[in-house]
Amino acid sequence: MEMIKADNLSYEYIKITETEKGTKQENILALNHVNLSIEQGSFVAVLGHNGSGKSTFAKHINALVRPTEGVLWVNGYDTKNEELIWDIRQSAGMVFQNPDNQLVATVVEEDIAFGPENMGVPSEEIRKRVDEALQSVGMLEYKEHSPSKLSGGQKQRIAIAGVLAMKPKCIVFDEPTAMLDPVGRKDVMETILRLNKQEGMTIILITHYMDEAVQAEKVFIIDDGNIVLEGTPKQVFPQVETLKSYGLDVPQVTETAYELKKMGIEISQDILTIEEMVGAICQLKSTI
Amino acid sequence: MIRDITIGQYYPVNSPIHRMDARVKLIITFLFIVTLFTVNTFLGYLFVVLCMAAVIKTSKVPLKFMLKGIKGIFIIIAFTAFINVFMTRGENILFEWGIFTVTTEGILIAIKMCIRLVLLVIGSSILTLTTTPIQLTDAIEYILRPFKKIGVPAHEIAMMMTIALRFIPTLLDETDKIMKAQQARGADFDSGNLLQRAKSLIPILVPLFISAFRRADELAMAMEARCYHGDENKTRMNVMVLKQSDYKAIVILVAYCIALIVLRFATTRYFII
Amino acid sequence: MSIKINHLKHVYNAGTIFEKTALYDINITIQTGEFIGLIGHTGSGKSTLIQHLNGTISPTEGEILLDDENIHKDKAKLREVRQRIGLAFQYPEHQLFEMTVYKDVAFGPSNMKLSEQEIDKRVREALQTVGLSESVYEKSPFELSGGQKRRVAIAGVLAMNPEVLILDEPTAGLDPKGRDEILYAIKKLHEKRGITIILVSHSMEDVAKLADRLIVMEKGRVAMTGTPKEVFARVEELEKIGLAAPQISYVLAELKQKGYDLPNDIYTVEEAVKALYTLLKGEEKL
Repeated sequence: MEMIKADNLSYEYIKITETEKGTKQENILALNHVNLSIEQGSFVAVLGHNGSGKSTFAKHINALVRPTEGVLWVNGYDTKNEELIWDIRQSAGMVFQNPDNQLVATVVEEDIAFGPENMGVPSEEIRKRVDEALQSVGMLEYKEHSPSKLSGGQKQRIAIAGVLAMKPKCIVFDEPTAMLDPVGRKDVMETILRLNKQEGMTIILITHYMDEAVQAEKVFIIDDGNIVLEGTPKQVFPQVETLKSYGLDVPQVTETAYELKKMGIEISQDILTIEEMVGAICQLKSTI
Repeated sequence: MIRDITIGQYYPVNSPIHRMDARVKLIITFLFIVTLFTVNTFLGYLFVVLCMAAVIKTSKVPLKFMLKGIKGIFIIIAFTAFINVFMTRGENILFEWGIFTVTTEGILIAIKMCIRLVLLVIGSSILTLTTTPIQLTDAIEYILRPFKKIGVPAHEIAMMMTIALRFIPTLLDETDKIMKAQQARGADFDSGNLLQRAKSLIPILVPLFISAFRRADELAMAMEARCYHGDENKTRMNVMVLKQSDYKAIVILVAYCIALIVLRFATTRYFII
Repeated sequence: MSIKINHLKHVYNAGTIFEKTALYDINITIQTGEFIGLIGHTGSGKSTLIQHLNGTISPTEGEILLDDENIHKDKAKLREVRQRIGLAFQYPEHQLFEMTVYKDVAFGPSNMKLSEQEIDKRVREALQTVGLSESVYEKSPFELSGGQKRRVAIAGVLAMNPEVLILDEPTAGLDPKGRDEILYAIKKLHEKRGITIILVSHSMEDVAKLADRLIVMEKGRVAMTGTPKEVFARVEELEKIGLAAPQISYVLAELKQKGYDLPNDIYTVEEAVKALYTLLKGEEKL
């Protein structure tokens, strides 16, 4: 079943800039007739440089922004339908970039309870969900702490738990690791992967880090409001030059394989991990 | 530096006072402060002090922390004392100097005023030291709820308080960082006259406001994403229920108020002071 | 100009229950013109260390010598120190406050009470160095993209003509393009003006490309120091403290373990490509 389906989805807004000659208006097409579908339970990465429209897309899934043209279905709900807005936000949770600016309460457990409280879940059930959610992100022992004393990675896991307590079917992560250090990044990525693999959560991960994107089942590249490339990581990442032209990186091993091929070595191009690279080299060496 | 300032002085121990319902504590504190102004004899103050000592003992919070609050308002106490000593007219003039007259009455009133202020500060400290900020905001929301019909936005006030409490440490950190960053660019906050100093705050205040607005914007979006839509159909994880101990506290409060009334009539009849 | 850090110790909130030692006995010497990569995760003490160098906090024990002079000895001279050792904090764009890019960059030099012409010269130079064209000078800094804002903020520090520039995670939160632009500007700055750079970063790939020497910090101490080759060769130790070497150096290390003859000091893609080519073809690529 499809969790997310975009049909000719466009979003246009008017940008007003003050110049010496007065105010200037221009229409900006942040999303340009996007068509895509994301299966329930899948893990999808969305890549694109800043201003490419990927964040606007993420906000559409949560009905924080609504299409100016076309339709977006989330869990079968049309996001243009005002009456369904709370159903949509409950089915598709969202975790933002800055861990500081999405925690509401002064105590961890109170923050996790915020979503279910808004949904009108009974008290007993909230308590249960809070514990479960904290357990799931491995932060149960911090239940009564103040968020301001936690590290960036811990805060981000609290934000994830806050979404989990709403029992969504899908979580959109808008650059969740951009402000974290390597340890925090690793913790958050492990949490995301575990939610997908063990709990079957649909994950949409927007990121700049290619090592995170290679772990997804499918990758979408957005540029200038268009989906310019889509496929499995093995299909997408070997297109080194194309990716670079969109202002993106490729994993070091993929780039190395690409360069070796250019120099005339018959090495496979869909190498994404250290193990695959080592394996490929060993194989080549044994055939020579 | 700035980050050393602690906001919300909750003292985390487990005591009967800590376990009490925040709404009851809030009402008791309010009544305590109101009744404090009806006490006007030293015997009355002695009674209040003894009651307070019992409460402090039960709360398990070291007296040191209670007294901390007084340090903060020392100037106000001193000023009150000064005004009362010199500005009160009376018959028993002790000495006169220019427009200043010191009378026995003045000294007595000054002492009483100071006792009142000290008791008032300690009384409210007991509330803030034994109640977490979040319990306090919840209690305020609950108490204000009946006034919603006349347009008091109870939920909104409580939500604003919660968010303010949540973001004060973040914004203090941010201020510290911006100050250091501008210092690194040669900004000078410590010298010059008043106008120059005020002007030197611009490089701190502008970035701070911009950051606060950015945070507010992002927070609003994150709250919406988590289905926030005011208090309509909103449930609570922690439902406030009055326990037996809370009823006991209310009984004690009533007894306290009666004792104060009795004391007031008794003392005005038999004692001069 | 050399910086010498002698037995530096820093304790936060000394004497209270919140007491925390952030730095223990740090000894580092930094020579003129060096490009240092300072690595360590959050809480390792690297931010505390760089704030000492700039004089925004004072040591609990020990001293920092700038050309053999203790920078914390004379409070009146601190401003001069801050001018000579420029510090761009993390997310420096959060300190922008002026109406135009030009005015914001001019804030530092005007605080130094320089002449109008000198200020103008420095602002233009600084903005040029970070790769911003004249078309943005009169724009509001808040209209620019994230990467551009950050470059304006770095230019604001550069305009003070520091002899040493410290950058605290200058690429945090940027997209790959924004990151490459900043790193390119820093590289150019080091090469052309020859100023000493201390780059604080989480990204091993970034420091590997740029730094001459790495200092790895862990729990308030210097855990390792040496050239990138020396430091990345100690992958296991790096991992123990929650850090990692660039991805490609793991490939080479594993291949070496399997008995292939490869150099053990490779950590960039270019070098790896050359080495692997030689390995596979049995000849050097010219």
